[in-house]
Amino acid sequence: MTPAPDNIERILFTEEQVSARIAEVAVEISEKYRGRDLKLIAVLKGSVFFLTALARALTIPVKIDFLAISSFGGPSQGPTPGLVRIAKDLDEPIHDEDVLLVEDIVDTGFTTRYLLQTLAGRGPRSLGICTLLDRSVRRIVQVPIDFRCFEIPDRFVVGCGLDHRQLYRNLGYIAVLDPERG
Amino acid sequence: MALLTISGDPASRWEEVAQAVAQLMHFELVTETRLAQWMIEEFGETPLPARAWAPAAVAVLARLAREHPLLIALDGAEHLFRPAPWVLRTRITTSDAHRAGKLMLDLRLEKSEAQSRLRELDAERKRFRKARFKGASSASAEAASFDLTLSLAHIDAAEAAEVLAAAAARRLDQQGLLSPNAADEIEFEMRLELAKRGIVPAGRARVTRASFGHPSEEMFANLLDFYRIQWEYEPRSFPLQWDKDGGVTEAFTPDFYLPELDLYVEVTTMKQSLVTRKNRKVKMLRAIYPHINIQVFYQKDFQDLVFKYGLKMVHS
Repeated sequence: MTPAPDNIERILFTEEQVSARIAEVAVEISEKYRGRDLKLIAVLKGSVFFLTALARALTIPVKIDFLAISSFGGPSQGPTPGLVRIAKDLDEPIHDEDVLLVEDIVDTGFTTRYLLQTLAGRGPRSLGICTLLDRSVRRIVQVPIDFRCFEIPDRFVVGCGLDHRQLYRNLGYIAVLDPERG
Repeated sequence: MALLTISGDPASRWEEVAQAVAQLMHFELVTETRLAQWMIEEFGETPLPARAWAPAAVAVLARLAREHPLLIALDGAEHLFRPAPWVLRTRITTSDAHRAGKLMLDLRLEKSEAQSRLRELDAERKRFRKARFKGASSASAEAASFDLTLSLAHIDAAEAAEVLAAAAARRLDQQGLLSPNAADEIEFEMRLELAKRGIVPAGRARVTRASFGHPSEEMFANLLDFYRIQWEYEPRSFPLQWDKDGGVTEAFTPDFYLPELDLYVEVTTMKQSLVTRKNRKVKMLRAIYPHINIQVFYQKDFQDLVFKYGLKMVHS
């Protein structure tokens, strides 16, 4: 197990729990999309770890692609927050494909809504969402989640791709970070 | 150029484009609710006759456009003004498949339900425009009413916003703000039209910027702008308690209304006593007005934004 940094308050889900739950969700996805060509789309950077684990657990052939969007208050935004935009687009079109958007976390729903609208505009055959973590207590914009691994409480979490100032993505478990110690 | 109108087909995401252009150009965004508020300030609470609505709206907008570039994001806004160098009338459109897709996402509908809802929305729009803008519902009249039409079938809302902002910036650069003489001429024409119906503009409507009660509200507004979600600040109060004579003794004014999502949002502060009081009001609002959608955005959510990105609160 990856050693816990000092500012970790507690571990929410261990590596074993994360792997087991991803395997369960992978079975559901494999059943739903059996006989179809599934494309997994991950949002850089946070979803990469989850995408990799999920793809390896699936029992159907999948294609993968990546996109990145600008982040609120990110370094390129300047003094005003600017507008959300695609910072790195998909490499290939998704027209008439079964697409599953792979998210590390869905909370307010703002980002997911933007991504869904962007992808829906490109004419996929179907468009679903699979998220590692669902912090629904913070939801403002309702988004339809097809697969979720864990519902989490209203705490700041890191690990399995989730970061604090770009750190801790590589933790194999999901942990609550203590802002006071951060 | 001092007036930019943006409208579009239902569920074409034209409101999102308008929000983005207003932000890029620093234009005042005029939504249906904002204009309604100005109309009340100008003409009082009594609703105007249907035929008087357009000249009344134009009288208000022309006066305000002398000092503030306005982006008028209203259904049918293109019919308010004749073609002129100081107005750019734009339309956002997209395919029916995309529009149905938006409804599927926003309203969580199945495809057939979304297509059916889209037909209803198109019919509602037609009726609305016919009532508000006499004779403006034919396809040829509609096509001739725009200076620029953009389809979102193959470009996204952000790209469309940049194209429109560039077009508006070019016009603004060449024409400047609406001249006082041109504004006087429009106002005179509209006042004459209104005088026939005994209506006199009071000249009271003013462009006021949202004056946020707390820095977290300003940050939330920035967050909505970032995601190109239209918002209105404290547009409506909901009575919660009444005395025995029917007078309102307690009311609640949610901080934000998001028209596209038909959702009110209350932003809380850090003080636990205020959070408790607000939670109580939200609970009462939900009980008394079950058809109103409201969500609470807690200060803690901002803390996480600040914590994650190292942001600084902008003090108003």
